[in-house]
Amino acid sequence: MVTANKPQDNYKKMFEQAREQVQSRQEKSRVLIGTASCGLAAGAEQVKESFCREIESRGLDVEIIEVGCIGHCYAEPLAIIDKPGFPPVCYGYLDEGLVHRLVEDFIAGDDPSYEYALAALERNDEFPTFEDFPRGVYEKKVILENCGLTDFSKIESYIAREGYSALAKALSEEPKQVLEEVKAARLRGRGGAGFPAGTKWEACMNSSDDEKYVICNADEGDPGAFMDRSILESDPHLVLEGMILCAYAVGARQGYLYIRAEYPRAVEHIQKAIEEARKKQLLGSSILGTGFSFDLQVFQGSGAFICGEATALVNSMEGKMGMPESRPPRLVEHGFRGKPTVLNNVKTFAYVPLIVNRGAKWFKGIGTPDSPGTAVFSLVGKINNTGLVEVPMGTTLRQLIEEVGDGLPEGREFKAVQIGGPSGGCLPESALDVPIDFDSLHEAGAIMGSGGLVVMDQDDCMVAVARYFLEFTQHESCGKCTFCRLGTKHMLDILTGITRGQGDDQTLQLLKELSEDVRDGSLCNLGCTAPNPVLTTLKYFHDEYKAHIEEGRCPALVCRDLILYYIEPPKCSKLCNVCVGSCPTEAIYTRDDGLKAIDQDKCVKCDNCRKACPPEYNAVIKLSPPVLPAEKERKAK
Amino acid sequence: MSEHVNITIDDREIKVRPGEKLLWAALENDIYIPHLCAIKEESRPNASCRLCFVEIDGIDYPVAACTRQVEEGMVVKTRSTKVDRLVKTAFELLLSDHNLKCSECPANRNCALQRIAKERGLKLKHNRFKPIGREFELDDSPAEFAFDRSRCVLCGQCIWADRVGAEAWIFGFANRGIDRVVTTFNNLPLAELKCNECTLCVDACPVGALYYKREQKV
Amino acid sequence: MSLIEGEKEHILACVKEVLGENTKTRENLIPLLQQVQHKLGYLPSLAMEKIAEGVNVPTVDIYGLATFYNQFRMNPPGKHQVKVCLGTACYMVGGDITLESFERRMEIKEGETSPDRLFSLERVACVGCCTLAPVVVVDDKVEGKVTPTRVDGIMLALNEENGKAAAEQKPDQSEGDDNGHS
Repeated sequence: MVTANKPQDNYKKMFEQAREQVQSRQEKSRVLIGTASCGLAAGAEQVKESFCREIESRGLDVEIIEVGCIGHCYAEPLAIIDKPGFPPVCYGYLDEGLVHRLVEDFIAGDDPSYEYALAALERNDEFPTFEDFPRGVYEKKVILENCGLTDFSKIESYIAREGYSALAKALSEEPKQVLEEVKAARLRGRGGAGFPAGTKWEACMNSSDDEKYVICNADEGDPGAFMDRSILESDPHLVLEGMILCAYAVGARQGYLYIRAEYPRAVEHIQKAIEEARKKQLLGSSILGTGFSFDLQVFQGSGAFICGEATALVNSMEGKMGMPESRPPRLVEHGFRGKPTVLNNVKTFAYVPLIVNRGAKWFKGIGTPDSPGTAVFSLVGKINNTGLVEVPMGTTLRQLIEEVGDGLPEGREFKAVQIGGPSGGCLPESALDVPIDFDSLHEAGAIMGSGGLVVMDQDDCMVAVARYFLEFTQHESCGKCTFCRLGTKHMLDILTGITRGQGDDQTLQLLKELSEDVRDGSLCNLGCTAPNPVLTTLKYFHDEYKAHIEEGRCPALVCRDLILYYIEPPKCSKLCNVCVGSCPTEAIYTRDDGLKAIDQDKCVKCDNCRKACPPEYNAVIKLSPPVLPAEKERKAK
Repeated sequence: MSEHVNITIDDREIKVRPGEKLLWAALENDIYIPHLCAIKEESRPNASCRLCFVEIDGIDYPVAACTRQVEEGMVVKTRSTKVDRLVKTAFELLLSDHNLKCSECPANRNCALQRIAKERGLKLKHNRFKPIGREFELDDSPAEFAFDRSRCVLCGQCIWADRVGAEAWIFGFANRGIDRVVTTFNNLPLAELKCNECTLCVDACPVGALYYKREQKV
Repeated sequence: MSLIEGEKEHILACVKEVLGENTKTRENLIPLLQQVQHKLGYLPSLAMEKIAEGVNVPTVDIYGLATFYNQFRMNPPGKHQVKVCLGTACYMVGGDITLESFERRMEIKEGETSPDRLFSLERVACVGCCTLAPVVVVDDKVEGKVTPTRVDGIMLALNEENGKAAAEQKPDQSEGDDNGHS
């Protein structure tokens, strides 16, 4: 029996303690450095060292804290300086020199050096916040709210912002309450398909089996997507709390986080979070002093995209090849160890504590009636503000790209946006006013997927992009069923041929038919959605396919068999030798007249020389079809 | 639970065991549905060959018959435009990865692929898809039989026979995607493993991938 | 691949240790393989056989797992492992060109280890640092915006490190020890 207010009382004590601890830390200046995977790759470690050095040499009393992803990845490495008496300010593009300056002027002195600041994090009279940017109008941070702002390594910083209060609240009520709230909120699974989470949970709850499991799918395998990684790294307890709430609702005692092998840092953070939660009796037996027990374990994937598929993931956890099974039975009936299992994505679980705390009504107030809540995207490709963004469902693609992402870099012309990774599609300009929600995107031929969004411009070849995704799915196909194993292979071969200028109308027809059959005949969702990039590009960019096979021309100058590199004589400076030095195959030589030229037989089209040629000359160009101007003239004669 | 359920396949009303999968219900009543990977005793269907598609009234897409349990009043068609299209493509895809020298094959005239071709009016030659041309080494190390992977359709029947019938645990799947094969530990020749040549696997092979050397042609 | 002297004992000891520390169930098979690979750098046949024995599963099933998952390798990796990300964002800005540059410089193909076992080169699906594309992971360190010129820089640094290591080792080594690869 649950004792009336025991969990709430226990939580209250824990909360007071955590708040006191966090507040005392905030009395002195703090530097928060974004050290998620992308920050580290941009040099966050060196930035951290610079801060340490500068602060130590001045004998300042400043705490340096590693935080997760701040979301403005385009400006990495990032740091936030929080000094009493000033609003917390976020700085980007940090290097040793800038760190020196910030420590000297701001931390030691009193000049916040706003000229280097990106934005403030709290409203103030001196400097704008991120909300004041154009993107602030559209952005709505819900599950990313605390990413990059709190110390992920300390459970206290999560508790101090009322973390685990949803759990305390839920535990003082019946499990059914949690389920009812999630159902009423109409929370849809964020793994891609958008299946209602409440329906899944209810089926599991209603099962009479007393052994049940909760699994978090963190096998984020879509190339170009990193939302789940960021949440796991930056706000691990949010995910844990969501899972515990789910376990309480459905009656599970054991849960797992299936995290992909390529995310070692996420594994590390989650493992530490689990240990801390156990110490606080938020995990393990008698959670918050109640009769409810639940524990969590990490299972590390071993590098197979297909394991993102639910039944394959379960097979993998059981020590088998990660191969999908035909459904039904569904996992809620026959899952891990043959027992009822709830499997949801990282983001789906992350919403749960917020829904329990703030209510279904609040959640439904965001987004659209059929797709309530927010959508999280990793915005990459030819776009100014690359990074993690969270917007309400229903925001249009145009708003997302032009306002939140600040459009394409200068001189770049929008061509397509790829949504949903290898299972998604490429949409053209004409589809940009489609609102982002599960159903509208599906109608347009793409899918929400797990939220990767890649912007492409005139330099991206749609045939090559379709080929790229097919190569990916073909490489990652488990090989179990005929359509996916052999169908994707033939699709890839046909596409490869087209990128070489081979094929005719019949080839395109065959490609389309085969794509449709693979979509309709495959065993699992990986196979069924693999043709999407091909079908959408065939539909929206048919002319580009035609140019390849009919004219032997790649309009975007990408397909290497259909281009050649050429040094334009009038532009070449003669005196500079940069291109010659840059060539890995010694294909560039100096002609008798001093101009540089490329030996086409030796050229491997690596693009080195074009990048190396100084911008004032810009003499190296690509030509498609691959015919040299001299030959063109000869032919004309 | 009642003793049987009534279903209709291709306008024929039949009585079948409750809980039976549609594929077996049809086959036991002499209604042919193409199939390679289905194993009746297996609790969870493999559903990998993608040949046993049928149309069920009320479902607007073809369904693999090996995965569906019969239900009272179910109305099924084994042929339709959609079904025929998928079966044709799956079949042609399998042929693109299959050694098509039938005249040299010990299973000639006794081959599941030939049966499918005959029943469905499909041609036993490379059609829309170019041969993939994977190369394999012939394993003729056992005394009685040999394993020619260039004919293997990855149905898994030999693995089932090897494990459930013989309890030898020699065969298994390996690799992923297009490289998937039926093989042995480290790809070792069968004679180097604990194979006692019970030949259950040879009998299970629906094509000529595992065959008796005495039946070998050429 | 034949094992060199002492290697066999090392493998046996390592598998024994891992099996001793973990529950020996089929469910635990992938973590077991991960741990053994973590210690040895790869999964030698001998290790697979011993794990099969310890967990009581057919050896062919271990072989199946090792060949199914990208993470497992059956040959020793190079001293320096370079992984080139070919996620969407990286591919779009020339990740394939970066990979080719490494292939040219290392004189091996993707998935291979150089004969002197100094380098191995792999492609990975996405390391999740898309905003820094093209990305390369060199010995677990993520490098962003790797152009072909940067590839030369990375190789230079690695070769320098190898040179140093070789120079430090040389006095203790007899000439015959030089692996003998041409």
